[in-house]
This record gives sequence, C-alpha cells and structure tokens, in this order.
Amino acid sequence: MNVIELKNISKTYRKGLRARKVPAVVNLTFSVKKNRVTGFVGPNGAVKTTTIKMITGLVRQSSGTVKINGIESFNPQSRQGVSYLSEQPCFYGHLTVNEALGFAANLLGISGKRIGSEIDRVLDIVEMAEKKSVKVKELSKGMQQRINMAQALLGNPHAMVLDEPMSGMDPPGRKLFRSIFTELKKQGVTVFFSTHVLDDIEAICDDVIVLSKGELVYDGGVMDLLDTGRLGMEMVVFGTVKDEMESLNEIGCSVTEKNNNSIVFVPKDKDYKLVQHLLFSKGKSFVSVKSTSESLQDLLYHNPQKQYVEHEL
Amino acid sequence: MKTVLTIASNTFKETVRNKVLYNILLVAGAALFLSMSFGDLSVFSRTQVMTDFGLATMSLTGLLLAVFIGAGMLGSEISTKTVYGILTKPVSREQFIFGKFFGLVSTLLLNFALISLVFFIAITLMGADVKISIMDAVVLLAVEMSVIVSAAIFFSSFTTPTLAAIFTIGFYISGHLNDLVDIGTKQQESVIWQTVLKFFYFLLPNLEHFNIRSRVVYDLPVPPDFVTGVFCYGVLYTILLLLLSSMVFSRKDL
Repeated sequence: MNVIELKNISKTYRKGLRARKVPAVVNLTFSVKKNRVTGFVGPNGAVKTTTIKMITGLVRQSSGTVKINGIESFNPQSRQGVSYLSEQPCFYGHLTVNEALGFAANLLGISGKRIGSEIDRVLDIVEMAEKKSVKVKELSKGMQQRINMAQALLGNPHAMVLDEPMSGMDPPGRKLFRSIFTELKKQGVTVFFSTHVLDDIEAICDDVIVLSKGELVYDGGVMDLLDTGRLGMEMVVFGTVKDEMESLNEIGCSVTEKNNNSIVFVPKDKDYKLVQHLLFSKGKSFVSVKSTSESLQDLLYHNPQKQYVEHEL
Repeated sequence: MKTVLTIASNTFKETVRNKVLYNILLVAGAALFLSMSFGDLSVFSRTQVMTDFGLATMSLTGLLLAVFIGAGMLGSEISTKTVYGILTKPVSREQFIFGKFFGLVSTLLLNFALISLVFFIAITLMGADVKISIMDAVVLLAVEMSVIVSAAIFFSSFTTPTLAAIFTIGFYISGHLNDLVDIGTKQQESVIWQTVLKFFYFLLPNLEHFNIRSRVVYDLPVPPDFVTGVFCYGVLYTILLLLLSSMVFSRKDL
C-alpha cells in the first residue's frame, strides 16, 4: 500500500511582468510505500522542496493529483498522522521549547493531560530534555533542528515527510538522527526524506526517488540501484597467486598484491564461483570475499555511462 | 474550534509581547494626559473634552494596532516560515485565518480595556459619571476595529505588508468618508459615474455608523436598536472579510 501518491503532477510558476509560464515540475509520478524509508535526492534546483510542499499542502499543483493516505493533499485531513519537518527550523521567537512543542501538540489534537508526558518523551528522543525552558530562538541551528525533529515525532505519526532533516547538524546530531530513523524503521513508520547526503540514503533507506530538473529519473530500491553499479567480486587471498596468474588472467581477473596478500578482482560478467573453485583446488584460503560496487554518489553524479543526474551536487 | 483557539491564544501571546503594543499604549496614555490639560483651555467641560479625546484615542490606537500588527501578520508568518509549522498539521487555512483574527482582536480588546480603565478612572476622579452611552461608544469602536483588523488580514492575504498597511489606512479613511460618496452619487448626472460611485458606496463599509462620539460628548440619546443594528452590521462585515481572506489565502502557494 502507498502512503504518498503523486500522479502526473505538474507545477508552473508565472514570472515577470508578462506572467510568463515557467514549468517547475513536469508530469511527475511516484509513490512512497507504507512502512518503508524512502530517500528523495536530486541536485539543487531539482524541485525537491516544491514537491515536498505539494505533498504537505503548502503549494498546490497546477495539474495532477497528490494523495496522502488516499486523501487529496490540500485537504487537512490528509495530514492526520503525518508529520513534517522543514529544512529551516521555523518556531515563534517568543516561545520556549516547552511552549513551542505544547503549541504543536495542541494543533495535533493531543489531549491536555497527555501533552506534558508527550513533550518529555520526544525531548528525550532528541536528547534535549534539559533545554525545555529555553527560548527556541536562543538555541543553535543544530539544536533547533533537534527540536524540529521533536515536534515531528509528537503524537507518534505513522508517516513522516522530512525536507533535508540533517541540514546544519553536527556529526553527533547526524548520528542521532540516523539512529532515530533506524528506530522509526523498526517501528514500521513510513519515512520520506530529501537529502544531499547520499551516504544517508545508502545507510538508512529502502527506496530512493531521484529527481533531475523537475523530472523523475529513478524510482526503486536502493539495493537495485546499487546493483546497476555493481563492479564485481573482490577476493583477498592469503599469500601469493603467482602460479595461478595465467589461469586468472584467462578468466579476465586482475590481481594486485598488498600486505603479503593477493587481491583478486573478478568482473561482474565473470563467474566468481569458478575463480573461487580454482583457487580452492590449488589450496588457497581466503581472507575475505565481497561484492564491490560504485557508490551512490558515483552512480548518480559521476559515472558518465550510468549517470542519472546531469548536474553535480 | 480547539485549533482556532490554540492559534488565537498563540497570536495573543505573540502580539502582547510585541513592543509596538506598548508604544501604542504609551501614545494613548500621553493623549489622555493631554486631554486633561486641554479641558481647562476649552469652552467645553473637562469631562466632555476627556470623553472626546478618550474615544478618539481608542479609535487611533485600534487603527495603529491593526496597521502595524495586522497588516504584517500573514506576511511575517510566511517570511519566517512559522506558517509551515501550523499548516502542515491537520489545520485548514480557514482555521488559521480565523485563529489569527481572534488572537489579534483579543489583543485589541485588552488594549481597549486598559485605555478604558484609565479613562473611566480619570472621569470618575473628576466627579463625573461613566454613562452607558460611553460604554456603547467603546463597544462600537471595538466592532469597528474588528472590521479594520479583518480588512488588514484580507489585504495581507494577497499583498506585501507595506501595501497591506497602506490599503488598510485607505480602507479606514474611505470607510469614514462613505457618506460623501453617497452625496457625490446623487450629484452626478452621468449614469456611468453614478454606477461606479454606487458600487463603491455599497462595497465599502460605512464606518461613520460606528462613530457615536459626538452624541456621547453632547449627551444626545443613542437608540438601543441603533447600537444592536450597527453591531450586527460590523460583525457581518468582519465575517465576510475573513471568508474572503480565507478564500484568497487558500489559493496561495507558501
């Protein structure tokens, strides 16, 4: 089942004195599956934020439909149980952390008795319990983003839409957010988040949606995408393989030596089991055998043969 | 309703902590103090001058509050993106507009209550009675200001804070000059001009209806039906403007 569904979405802005039509999003169709963590990537200007705003009802599409839980996104009921985290923390300057979260909890319809314990729960998750009485505007950007995450966790949402949640975070903050995502994944919460950090996608996401210039260029599993960039198998063998070099070269393998070990690389179009069998039969033992593939970064932005996105980050 | 009250309460806290409010109250205090001195210089009694000044001060501070806070309200919510934190929750744009309105009107009422308190104490200290008609005048002023606040919110739903402030002042002035538009319509011979002027006469509210200051000052009777009628007129106009604001704001990309 899909939590978020975009069907043939287009968005056109009008610019200049003559109100010239400028297309931002062109016929975009994708969906976010329930109970999965989906990454949303693309270079600057790929209209990720505009797309997220259409999902959250902040911007209305020029054509097509955006549905959340089967309800049109401009209907406020579609956001029941769905939380949002903006790239820039946006709290009222006159409120303390406790007041800001209390305000958000009231808007979510959390009952008065539960608000206090709910605020304590989310502040514990983002490790900000001691900042409860501090005014939000007095906190650093990274801390404000933690509070932003706390408000997104209020009321145990079943789905979360996050626009570059780790923007401006320090390494401990990033680590904390990654662990929060992992926990949410375990709890079966649907998470959809945009990011420029592809390591986060590789580490956390089940699926990835790639946009370029307002158009969809990839929609599928992260592992499937990585698989398209699979290079082959890398076997680290104890000792030297000089005697087997000729046979290995015939198969198409390349060999390098390092720290008294031999690293045998078997290209993906060759049968690595054949190589394994050959080396076993010669009495060789293995330190490790692992699959090697291009990083998501290389796959999306650098490799001209498989490049999904035209612009670099 | 809980959502509207939550937004209203937050807006109230926000505006109460706004320095503009205290500056406006300072101006009001100074005006009331001056009115006490002017009373000795005028041919009218001190109480009459104070009543006139007091009611005029309330009208002016209400307008200032509507212009300085109301006209910039939606614009600042959008520029600081605080609106995202509200509208990305199960909150409709209509609830947001009505919440902001009630929040600002609550501040306005607090402002009126404070000025009225000082004003009534001063009148009582001078040995005069606080007449019912003064209360009527204050109530009608509050309704007039709710019309002005809703107009400020309406203008800020589609334009910049500066333009919204200019439009709100224009709305206030033209609303008070609406009777002149009616006179002008009757004097026009051209049917086209008559139609145009009539259109504006009916489009703009007649804010002079809310002004019973001279009746109060000269102790003229104010029919109770008149107060009720004008009260309902103001409330209906306010609702109309808020519905229009919601319609415009619902179509706005944030």
